[in-house]
Formats: sequence, C-alpha cells, structure tokens
Amino acid sequence: MIDARPAVEQVQAAFTQAITEVCAVHGVPMLRVKKQDLPTVAHFLHTNPGLRGSLSLLWAVDHRPREARYELCYLFTLAERKDWLLLATDLHGDEREFPSITPHLHAAKWYEREIRDLFGLVPIGHPDLRRLVRHEHWPKGSHPLKRDFPWDRVLGRVQGEYAFRKIHGEGVFEVPVGPIHAGIIEPGHFRFSVAGEPIMQLEVRHFWKHRGVEKLFEQQQLTEAVPLSERVSGDTSVGHSLAYCQAVEMLQGVEVSPRARYLRTLFLELERLHNHIGDVGAICNDTAYALAHAHCGRMKEQLMQLNDRLTGSRFLRGVNCVGGVALDLSGLQLAQVEVELNALEQDFSDIEKIVFANASLTERLENTGILTEGIAWDHAVIGVVGRASGIDRDLRRDRPFAAYDVLQPRVALYRYGDVRARMRVRLDEIHESIRLIREVRRGLPLGRLVSRPMHQPQPGAWALSAVEGWRGEILYVVMAGDAGRIHRCKVRDPSFVNWPAIQWAALGNIVPDFPLINKSFNLSYAGNDL
Amino acid sequence: MFRILKKSLQTGSVTGQHPVGAAPSEPIGPEAIEKAKPFRRSMTIREVDTGSCNACEMEMNALANPVYDVERFGVHIAASPRHADALVVTGPVTVNMERALKDVYKATADPKIVIALGDCAVNCGMFKGSYAVTGPVDRHIPVDVRISGCPPRPAEILAVLAKLRQDESASGS
Repeated sequence: MIDARPAVEQVQAAFTQAITEVCAVHGVPMLRVKKQDLPTVAHFLHTNPGLRGSLSLLWAVDHRPREARYELCYLFTLAERKDWLLLATDLHGDEREFPSITPHLHAAKWYEREIRDLFGLVPIGHPDLRRLVRHEHWPKGSHPLKRDFPWDRVLGRVQGEYAFRKIHGEGVFEVPVGPIHAGIIEPGHFRFSVAGEPIMQLEVRHFWKHRGVEKLFEQQQLTEAVPLSERVSGDTSVGHSLAYCQAVEMLQGVEVSPRARYLRTLFLELERLHNHIGDVGAICNDTAYALAHAHCGRMKEQLMQLNDRLTGSRFLRGVNCVGGVALDLSGLQLAQVEVELNALEQDFSDIEKIVFANASLTERLENTGILTEGIAWDHAVIGVVGRASGIDRDLRRDRPFAAYDVLQPRVALYRYGDVRARMRVRLDEIHESIRLIREVRRGLPLGRLVSRPMHQPQPGAWALSAVEGWRGEILYVVMAGDAGRIHRCKVRDPSFVNWPAIQWAALGNIVPDFPLINKSFNLSYAGNDL
Repeated sequence: MFRILKKSLQTGSVTGQHPVGAAPSEPIGPEAIEKAKPFRRSMTIREVDTGSCNACEMEMNALANPVYDVERFGVHIAASPRHADALVVTGPVTVNMERALKDVYKATADPKIVIALGDCAVNCGMFKGSYAVTGPVDRHIPVDVRISGCPPRPAEILAVLAKLRQDESASGS
C-alpha cells in the first residue's frame, strides 16, 4: 500500500483543533474533522501546492438503526503521489445541515446536490440548490436513501417545473434537446442558449433514468449483488462488477488467486477494446465519415462475437464473482484470442491510416470542444476525457488492481483537450489493450479460480474499491449490514464527474458540433443517473 | 483513395456473418402479425429508452452495423416518433421517464405497433418494485410484441422482426 503518512501529518499539523480522530480504513488514512471546519480543511487539501488534492468521491451514510447519525465522507486523491486521503464528519441526532465545500471546490457541486436529494441533508452555502436526482414532480420530503424510506414506496406526482439558467438579451434563443434523442441513445436533456450558431451556455439536465440502484443494493446480500452491479451501466458490465467484487473481497478478507486476477485483467481489457473501437467509429460517423464507422462497427461486432464465444455473453456478463472469476479459459481459447486480436490490430491500423489521411475529417476534430487542463482539474475530470486534457491519472498504474501490478500498462496522455485528443487517447489505449491481452496470455499462472472468504464482515464495516474501466475511474463503497446484507453501496461511475465538464467543453462551439463533442466524451447516462 | 479501395476489397462483404438467432422466446400473437401487416415491406422504428442499462441500446445499434444490416430487410431507424411505424421501448419505465414515454406514444402516428425490448421492458427485470420504477411498459402503453433477454442478441431481434412481418400467403397479395 502506498504511504500517505507525510500528507496526513501535514494536514494534522495545520489543523490541530479541527481533527478529532485519525484512523485507517483498509490502508486509506481517514481524518475525522469537526463539521464547521470541513470547508477550510478541504480548501487546504485542494490548494496546498504540496498536496493538490482533487475530490474523487463524496458520499453519505445513514447509520440508523444502529446509530442515530449520518456520516459524510470525502475522498481526496493527492495529485503528486496519487495517494488517497479521507475526510469524514458526522451529523448527530436531528442535525440536517452541513457546510458546503462547493464554494471552494467545483467538483463537489453535484455530489452535494445528490446528497441533498437522496438523504435530505442540506449543504449550507451551496450556490445552486435546485433538485438534481429528484425531478420536480417528486413529492416534497421524499429522500429515498434514508433508512426509513421503504425501497418499494410508490411515489406520488406533484406539479413543479425545473428552473433552467436563463440568458436574457436580444437574439438569444434556447434550444431544448431531449430527453428523447434522435439516435439510439439514452435519455437526457440538454438546454443550449445560443446567439446565432455559437453556444453561449449549455445546461445538462439528467437523472431521467434514475432507477434507485443504490437502494436496490441495500435489499441484497453481499454475495448476491454481482448481477445488479453488471446492470448499473450495461456497457461497463466487467468494470462495475469487478469494482463491486473487489470491495466485498476486501470486507471478507479474500485473497484472490493470481489466475483469477489475470483473467479479470483480460476481460476488463476486452471490454475496453470493443467500447473504444465503437467510439472511434461513432466519432467518425458524427463527422459524416460513414466508411470508418462501418469498418469500426464491423470490428466491434467481431469482438462482441468473440466475447460471446468465450463467455456466453456479448457483454461479458457473469465472468466476475465474489472471490475470483466464474469461468476459465483454456490454452487453446487464449491462443485463438491472440490470433484474432493480432489480425484485428492490423485491420484497425489500416483504418487509422485512412482516417488520418482524410483532412476533411481531422479538420472537424481539431480545436473542437476543447476542455482545458485548468477546467478539467477544477472539476476533477478523470478517465479518457481527463487524459486528453493533461490529467495524468490511470488507476491501472496509480493504484494497481487485478494483475496490473505485474503487467504495467503504458498510460496515454495528451494535453490539447479537443475531440482529436480524446480520439487519440482511445487509439493508443486500443493498441495498449491488445498488448496487455498478449501479456496476460504469456504470463497466465495456474491456480484456482475462486477463493474462499476468511471471515464475514462485522455490521458497519466498509471498504472502498476502485477500477479503471474504459470510461475512467469506477468507485464502489460497500458497507456491510446485519446478516450478510448490504447496509450501503455507493456507486460512482466516471460519467457522474465528467458530465458537468461537458458544459464547459461545449462553450463557444457551434450547435452542430455538439453531437461530435458529446460522442467524444461518450458518457453513460445509466451509470450517472443510477 | 487506393488505400480505401484496397481495404474494401480485402474486407469483402461481412453481412450475415453472425450466429443464427434462436427462435423468439415469447410467441407473437396473431393480432400483432395482423397489426404489422402494413409494415411488411418497410418499417420505420423509433427507439425509446425508459431507463435501461444501455445494453439493449447497444444491441439495437448493432442492428445497423454492416454485419446485421437491418436496412436490407426494409427496417429503418427514424429520428422522430412522428416518422415512426413502430416504437421499440427498452427499460423498466422510471418515474422520471413515464411522462416522456406517454408523450412519445401520443406523438406516433397510427397505425403503429409497440415492441418491448429486453427483460426490463417486459417485466422490469432486476429493477422490479423499486420506488423509482413504475413499469413495465405495458402498464403505460399497449404492447404488441415482447422480446425478452438481458439483453436479447441482435440476431434474436432480427428473428422476431422477420417473424412479425412474414407473409403467410407468400405467393399471393
């Protein structure tokens, strides 16, 4: 585990009065902070040049019925050393208010609104307290993640209207788009304010697909919730189920066998591969270059049929289970995978050359939808989008899981932050994924597939796990409840972090370029809305 | 230019290179086949996601790739419900999407058919009972065809579309 002690000591020295307790949760240092001091400590972590903490996750837990308190946890990734540091604070008894850190950290904005909607806790000082998850027709006082809210309650319907941010002035028009879009994609609403063609403001209104996933987790047993995690965001079945399994394994003290770790790596890279190739094709399609779209569609289909042959699921569902992997691959199958991927890499390289020889296509990609490094940093943007804007973060290298401690992936990094950079990151990662799969085949150790749990977790024990899915960092916090049940499961798809950033990337671009920018981000709606 | 031609020649035709789709698990009623009669030669689909996990959308998108190439059967995807003959609905119908689904149904011109795609749309799947789900689809709008699966494979969707639109009196009319 990485040593974060110097950082902890630095914060402790600066805030001797504010910190009430220092402990560690599965190797992650945690500082319990007095509620009123939270914004200053967070601000210090964020701005101190030696720490440069960026907010990775903010979640709340309702500890009832065991204790009458709410707990708020703030996970920071310290940029210089990629360490994790947790801040925590408690709301006892009837307290329902906590100080907002959003005025100091943009990245907390949606998290705090989410906590307000789902728990009814109010972030005092938050600049924008409109509803986020609960649309306006939800009755007042319905906060589904409170423990006393029944998971199957039927919500009534009341009148109400969301107040979009308005720009007033001569010649300013609003263009509403969605929730149902023109293509076969998920529902979401985009509100453009335009004067002529350029976008002056974009507001993203999401959570149309909110299915109550986190509440549904709380109805399940720890060992039985893997299928639900695969359906949080269907295109990231492996990423989400792996993050979930790792959290439960930490709770149960399971040591996953090396063979299972290698196979998990293989499946995660296969998932990355078919999604990235699909994205490259879709970006080309949005510049009206149908030829590359057709070729990429064909290759993506080839990969999904390969998935189907290997695992019986085109989306690689059912491969992860708590303790390891549910199915094995024979040497012959692995050899066939390598042969097929070698041919595919050659095939894909041909398409890359064709794409980049086409000036009318690359012209559309360059300087379109620029997300600057500064804005990306302010919003704690991660994943493919972050790496295209100079944010050098990849959990496979920074906090190795599965077999990445041995395999050591090379991280793609571009600084320009436009559509081309995001496409470039994907191209590099496609080649890297194929290389990693070859490495898996070469190094795959023998051993058992599923390891047994060492112990059952105490109620209230929790663990935090992180996986670099194809979109970016997937985080799961799983807290054990009574009798092997889940007390709380916080799911964080990278889309939740990156959606607010797209509002900035679109500014100044023309409306017809927005689909292209959106495609180059390719964020999940289901994983965001939960 | 020569590079593109060379690539196209090397690749050849890939249409139809997929495993055969199994027979649809849920039978298609005679009423649905009767209702689909006007769309035998050409059918335009509008897809509506009411809270799926995106896997069903990916399989619908796959129908348009060169391997399945659904257009060769006269099936098109429209951008607006106003242009659609059929609505393909995925997802368990969330509280937040309920109104939008009803609006889309009203906006689609008659005659029309509704296809519920995937386990969630058919019976809410894993999300059944949740406070945020009000489905399944047939609680809100009439459903003619059900395609179960999580998600159904593209070849299975193709098989259902073919069965729905087959002409029993193949020689006549």
